[in-house]
This record gives sequence, structure tokens and C-alpha cells, in this order.
Amino acid sequence: MMANSRAHSKATSSEARDLVRLDRRHIQWSSLVLLSPMGLLLFLLFLGPVGYAFYLGFTNLQLIGINSINYRFTGLTNLIALWKDKEFYHSLLLTVYFVVGSGAIGSTAAGLALAMLMERALPSLRAIVGAVAVLACILPPVTVAVVWYSVTTAGGVFPEMIGMGRDDLLYKAPMLVVSLANGWSLCGLSMLIFAAALKNIPRDLFEAAMLDDATAPQRFFRITLPMLRPTIMTSVLLMTLLSFGNFTLVFLMTGGGPEGRTNILPVYSYLQAFAYHRLGYGALLGNVIVVISALLGVIFVGINLLTGLSTRRIRTIAGRA
Amino acid sequence: MEITSMMSGPRVADLSGSGSVAFGPPVRLRRFTPEKVVCNIVLAIIGIMFVLPLAWLVEASIDRLATRQIQIPVFSLVNFILATDPTRLLALLNSVIISAIAAFVATLPSALAAYAFSRHHIPGKYAIVLFILFLSGVPINILIVPVYQMFSTLDMLSLVPTAVFLGVTAIPFELYIIKNAIDAIPLDLEEAAQIERANTLRILWRVVLPLALPGIVAAAIYGVVNTWGNFLVPLVLISAPEQQPSPLTIFGFMSADITRYGAIAAYSLIYSAPVVALYLVLSRFFRAGFVLGGAIRG
Repeated sequence: MMANSRAHSKATSSEARDLVRLDRRHIQWSSLVLLSPMGLLLFLLFLGPVGYAFYLGFTNLQLIGINSINYRFTGLTNLIALWKDKEFYHSLLLTVYFVVGSGAIGSTAAGLALAMLMERALPSLRAIVGAVAVLACILPPVTVAVVWYSVTTAGGVFPEMIGMGRDDLLYKAPMLVVSLANGWSLCGLSMLIFAAALKNIPRDLFEAAMLDDATAPQRFFRITLPMLRPTIMTSVLLMTLLSFGNFTLVFLMTGGGPEGRTNILPVYSYLQAFAYHRLGYGALLGNVIVVISALLGVIFVGINLLTGLSTRRIRTIAGRA
Repeated sequence: MEITSMMSGPRVADLSGSGSVAFGPPVRLRRFTPEKVVCNIVLAIIGIMFVLPLAWLVEASIDRLATRQIQIPVFSLVNFILATDPTRLLALLNSVIISAIAAFVATLPSALAAYAFSRHHIPGKYAIVLFILFLSGVPINILIVPVYQMFSTLDMLSLVPTAVFLGVTAIPFELYIIKNAIDAIPLDLEEAAQIERANTLRILWRVVLPLALPGIVAAAIYGVVNTWGNFLVPLVLISAPEQQPSPLTIFGFMSADITRYGAIAAYSLIYSAPVVALYLVLSRFFRAGFVLGGAIRG
């Protein structure tokens, strides 16, 4: 076929040159016009800065002083500083704790638990909790920070409730509190994702399992979880990215303190750049964040591929039924 | 279910499918099994954890003697009066301006590009769209140093450039939303218009735009909310205090006026209300829109 048509077009090449081939879609110039505003904006204010940040990470740029104008490329100096920076490792650990612990795992698990509880709940309770959980996740991060700051510092609702009275819960366990606040503001979204996915699991599977006397944990681990795997992946990725973006929450609640105990990387990067005036080093820390989020993405996709086999088996069974 | 279904909003619409989200089939309680009792109790406890912080916010905002504790309020509107003094109202106005500019800057180019990506033949377009969507996962915080350096070199540390930058950060996801909306419009309608000899602009204006409108509005609302909630970008990129938007006011409240819990709560409520309202509008819009009626008959 291919060879035939090519021979044919060669034979009539002189005429074909000015004829438009109707069997092939061709590039329209109008698409260039339509694409260029977006392309220009993305290039100037998104891709450009990403590349620029990469360069700035290897310079001695300062916010103020002589190096704010006459900065230069300093090679590996910043990387070596990073290598020796104890606060960086501490910050890295806190970031993993915050992003993976409260975001990827915490919020996803909480969202799944909420969605499953909702299925079994009284309609009125379900409506109220659903509404409030969703409200929590659409509130702006600044409001979440205000609310959680107020209810967890000395004399707030939560310290009083667990009998710590005048103690400052936010000071005693800052990382736990900001993680809870993060989970509180995210798990409504994950709940909605799971609620939709749970509805799509064929009921027959559960009925078949019940006929075979499968226990509730068996049904959960053998049917619900594998069937939800793509959804879990979506939720985990989304929660990871949203937690990484949740600089505002941590910065407003603790400012990275007390004594750097909530100094996650986005906050540390900001502090280095704009509080300690080391813009170059701050940019480098930002680049580290990009590398980490890309790495986490690759890891999640990898896990997804590795565990994919069992799900496919169930899907074929479900398809047959 | 009224509010729970409103999260067919921009962040979720594509993941959970369009339309309202309901939690499983309607539950018929034949009897109280122990499992159900436990589930309901656990859910109620979780619900209380969810409600308490919000309850404090509402209570403190109307309590003249507000503390960090939930208490019987001494009702008064003094907090709202404190929260709406001229400088703080100006901050709200700045927020409105920034969000409007950002939404415009993000939505128009996204809509144009989305149409091209949806309908035109562009070599490697799936890879390009995927790459742009991937950009929406890049944490915006990391752009702040290079953009600060760019803007300060060009002496542009003010409101409008900041708004444009915030708009650009919303483009990747807006493109994705609008492209999905345009993809869902059947080609037949455009072909029918073409047969009637409508030109491209006319087809865009009369056929594509009205049908893609729910998606475009959803994208624009995402643009607004994305900008409205951003704290770090205006903090760094706007140098003049009188151009700062509301999040900075709240930051000022928290670091200085720490004993005025009532005023903070009231201001936070005022600041959050538009976002909640927009999501409600969005949910209505989605329930009403996206119905092609008998436009095509198979």
C-alpha cells in the first residue's frame, strides 16, 4: 500500500506539488496564531524561570549588598555548601515526613476511610460530614492556617479538649499539628475522588465474595483495594503535589519554627532566599524540590507498574462476570 | 448533598467524571448492625474534628469577647467593623483586581490554545499537552526566586506583573480543563456549521464557545481561586504595601494583632466567602450546563 502510493505520488510529483492532499491532515497556520499567546506566556513566565532558577542555583546571587548586582557563576560552591548544610538534611527529613506522611499516605488513607464510612453512614450524618470536609478543602490556605493556628495554640480548642489546658500544642508538637492541618485541608478532596471510584466497583464482586464466606478484611484487601488502585495512585500523586505546594500553611502557622522543627524545604528555600538574603542558595533549594517531586512521581508510577499485575487479574475476572 | 456535590469543581471534575458526586447507593437501614453503629460513631467523631475549627471561626467572628476557645458568644458585629476598615477593604479590592487579571490572562490564551489542540492537526500534540499538564504539578514556590530576580531587574515589583505571573501559573491546568470541554463537543455541529458556510470565527463564536462555556467558566474560576489563595507570590513580588492583597493582611493580623481573635476570624470569613460562593456557582453551572439537548440525533 505504502510503496504503491509513494510510487504513484512520485510519478505525478509535478502536479502534486501544488495540490493539497486531502487524505492527510496538514498543519494550519491558524493554529500557530491560536497557540502563540499561551506559548509565549508559558515560555516567558514559566519555562524561562525554571531554566533561570537552575542557573541561579549555581551563582552567588544575594538579595542585598554587592552580590545583588555583581553576582557570578560559582560552579559547585553552592552544591558543596548544600552537601555540608546540616539544616538541609533536617529539612529534607521533615519534608518527606510532611509530604509523604501527611499528604501522600495520611490524606489518601483518611480520604478512603471517610469515603468508605460515608457509604455506611446515616444520610443526615453523611451530608453534614461530607459538606464540612469539602468546605475544609476549598478554603484558602491562609484561612486554614488562621483557623488551625488559633485552635491549637495555648488556650485553643484542641489543647483544652485533650486536657493540656494552657499548654501550646503548636509549640509542643509543631510537625504533628501542621501535618494534621494539612490532612484536614486535603482529605475532603481525596474523599470525593474515592467516593466516585467506590461507586464504580461492581457489586457482584462483593456478593460473590460473601457467598464464598470472605471476611470483611479479606473483601477489603482482595477486592476494594485492588479495584481502587488507579484511584489510589491519582490521590497519592495529587496529595503529594498539593502538600508540596502547601508552603503557606506551614509558613503562616509556624514560620518554620520553633527551632526549625517545621522547616520543610519550601519554607527553608524561602527563608534562605528572602530572610538570609541568599537568593542563589534559595534557588538551589528550589531545584532540589523539583528533583524530589519528580523523583516521587517516578517512584509512585514505578510502584503502580509493579503492583499492576494483581489488579489486571481481578479486572479480567470482573469483566468475565 | 447540596454542598458535597459542588466539588465537581476544577480540581475534581476530570477525576471523578462530570456531574454530582454521591456517596454510594441510597442506604436503607433495615436494622442496626453493630458494624453500622460503629461506622456511624467513628464518622461522627471525625465529623466533630472537622467541624470544631470551623465552628471556632464562625463563633469568634461574632463574639465581642472572642478567645481561642469556643464559647457562648457575646453577640456583636464589632469584629466585622474592625475587619472592614479602609486599609483592609483596600486589600480585598487588590485581591479582586489581581484575581480578575490573572483569570483573564490565564483563560483567554488557554481557551485559544485548547481549541487548536483539540481540533487542529499539530505534530506531536499529545506529547505537548502532556508536558504542559505536567507543568501544573511544578510547585509554584520554586519559581519565586527567578521571577523575583527578573521583576526586580526590570523594576516590575508591583500588582499587575504579579497578577500576570499568577495567571501564567494557572495556564497548564486551565488548558487541560478547557481542552476536555472542547473535546466533548461533537464534531458534527462544527461540520454542520461549515456546510452552512459559516467562517471559522463565526463557528468559534456561535458553536464552540457556547458549548464549551461551562468548561471555560470552570477554568476561569480555577484561575481566580488559585490567585485569590496565593500568599507567597504577592508577599515577594509586590513591594508597595498599599498594593498587597488580603492574604498579606491576614499575615499582618497574625504577626502583630495577635489578641484580636475576633477581627482575624471575621476578616478570614469575609476573605473566604467568595471562594466558597464561586464553588457553589460552579456546581450549579455544571448541573445546568453540559447538556447538548437534541443537538445531534444518531
